[in-house]
Amino acid sequence: MINTILIFPIIACILMGLIKKKAFDCAMVNVYAVLHFVASCLLACGIGKLGNIPYFTVDNTNIIFLLVLSLVFLMVAFYNSNYIRNLEYEDKKIGHYSFMIMVFVLAMTGTILSSNLGIAWIFVEATTLSSAYLIYFNKTKHSIEAAWKYVFICSIGIALAFVGIIFLNIAQGDINTLDFAQLYKHASAFDPFWLKLAFVFMLFGFGTKMGLAPVHYWLPDAHSEAPSPISALLSATLLNSAFLVIIRVFKVLDIAQCDKWARIMFIIVGFVSLFVTAVFVYHIKNYKRMLAYSSIENMGILAIGTGLGGAALYAVVLHLIGHSLAKASFFLTSGNVLELFETKRIKSINGLMSADNKTAWLWILSFLAICAFPTSILFISEFLIIKTMIMQGHLLLCALFVLLLTIVLWGIAKVVIKMTFGKLSEDKEETVRANKKKFSILMYLPQVIMLLLVFVLGIYIPPFLNSMIILATAGF
Amino acid sequence: MENGFIILFGLTMLYLAATSRIVSHIRLVALQGILLFLICACNFEHQNALNIAFLTVETLIVKSIVIPWFLFKVFKRAKANRDVSANIPHFYSLVVASIILILGFLIPNYYNASDTMKMISPIYFGVSISTIIISLWLITIKHKIISNVIEFITMENGIFLLSLSVAKEMPVLVNLGVLLDVFIAIYILGLFINEINREFKDLEVSNLSDLRDDNND
Repeated sequence: MINTILIFPIIACILMGLIKKKAFDCAMVNVYAVLHFVASCLLACGIGKLGNIPYFTVDNTNIIFLLVLSLVFLMVAFYNSNYIRNLEYEDKKIGHYSFMIMVFVLAMTGTILSSNLGIAWIFVEATTLSSAYLIYFNKTKHSIEAAWKYVFICSIGIALAFVGIIFLNIAQGDINTLDFAQLYKHASAFDPFWLKLAFVFMLFGFGTKMGLAPVHYWLPDAHSEAPSPISALLSATLLNSAFLVIIRVFKVLDIAQCDKWARIMFIIVGFVSLFVTAVFVYHIKNYKRMLAYSSIENMGILAIGTGLGGAALYAVVLHLIGHSLAKASFFLTSGNVLELFETKRIKSINGLMSADNKTAWLWILSFLAICAFPTSILFISEFLIIKTMIMQGHLLLCALFVLLLTIVLWGIAKVVIKMTFGKLSEDKEETVRANKKKFSILMYLPQVIMLLLVFVLGIYIPPFLNSMIILATAGF
Repeated sequence: MENGFIILFGLTMLYLAATSRIVSHIRLVALQGILLFLICACNFEHQNALNIAFLTVETLIVKSIVIPWFLFKVFKRAKANRDVSANIPHFYSLVVASIILILGFLIPNYYNASDTMKMISPIYFGVSISTIIISLWLITIKHKIISNVIEFITMENGIFLLSLSVAKEMPVLVNLGVLLDVFIAIYILGLFINEINREFKDLEVSNLSDLRDDNND
């Protein structure tokens, strides 16, 4: 199964290069999305786990990440097939776009499935390189700036992560391996000093990719300048795959009994992320940037949960699933808003409800899902994290956590309400009505499915998913 | 002999900090590639054929021929001759770079006696770490984006030297993938330099500061 997921896009890309038909390129992305989803579901059921290419494996932890990636990619592919129909670019450019989406998803899948730290590093860097074109896709001054910052900052971050890998190699003493299973096996014999140093480098290196706060500068630019389906993929899947690599390394420290240091680092980085979001979300004038900051906030929550450990780990997995689905839906809906109003300025958008009430409802529901309104799955995860904080006696941290979340919530709510209600200005009415005609059901359905999942999972988590999440937390 | 090459490698970083002509920066990148090859060549008798072949290709061909050639091509099209307006005058940047390099020599030797350092050779370690730090620091003070790319390459060279300092080999597959990724990253950055040059007419970093939270677009 793993072979299928990894080899199909390579063959498809070669075919796309040979055939060069726009319809074929778009169809291939959809076929890959369906294939990816089916293969991950089969892997989750335990079918076809054996007989893989070396260096790749499926275990209890990465299967959750793989499923989230598949589901989000499938939804984005549906949305995308309508989205590219409305683009007024030549066929060749659309072909490149489809090609790079395949490579990008392949790189993320490779990161998630790799069982070797070195290979994971290579694939994380590959995600940067393949998504650079996608961010640059609109070829404006702003998109060049965003793509340049993205490639440059992330490449430096990933290079520092490689320094961390070298330090990990020093920490190993006489053993020489980068295989995760081997690392876990020998972890207790590692040198603590070098191991801690390696972790700092890797946390900030891969954390650059994950969007943790002191090294997040590329994230708002890249997310706001990329086409909306790509923003959804970046936010909902790319950040997760970098997070997976970090927790794999964290597990090594956990076994080597150096986890106290790592936990403090996680909590500091997490709170800085929350703080940065709470400060910056106020005077934002671009709604896609606002969503990007919300991603930084949620990555901060994941880091805090991982740092707390215990029951919070269950919450982290829940939060990861919920954030991916809700944020993908939010970004796709922001794509609808952008198509309707042709601007990213919050100031120029009023009366979304009277412009297109379906988009407006999706916009509000995505907001409720992301701000952890009850029955959203994020409510349970954040509740569990707060509960763990209280149980462990971190009352001050808990108060700070709730305060920062409330500030972020207020900042986002203000914008969402301002955009949704009010009166549609008359000069906009013409453009909005013309643009609305381009929409088909595919621009609403993916968000509906994802939001439905988020809200239903908040009430009822099926036993099989529950046991999968519990098994996954063993990998932290 | 080996140590001499490493010290020369460290000194190239001082030259990079003190000069402003971009052509000489590119020549320096080529020189660093050759020095890295010579450093590897001193250890060739302990290694198997596959590794020797790989290291030769990486240092002698990619690092000292292909990348500088590509940079020259980008440079000619961009017509950016000097990076004069750095944030800090060249004399002071030379002083700071020297201090970092000297600390790089001293600190690992000072701690050499401890048990944890026995895996690595101090001079490799010190020079490579100070190369990485000097490169990162130069990135923050230079004003031309092409010199930022050059400093990114010297940082990668420093990391390469660091990986040589560990007396163990990574799997060839990992090395190959790392080389490929770094090479493509430099290639993409080069393409972007051309695009930026076309769009903005010059290569100042300050052009790329339009995306801000308080920006209305």
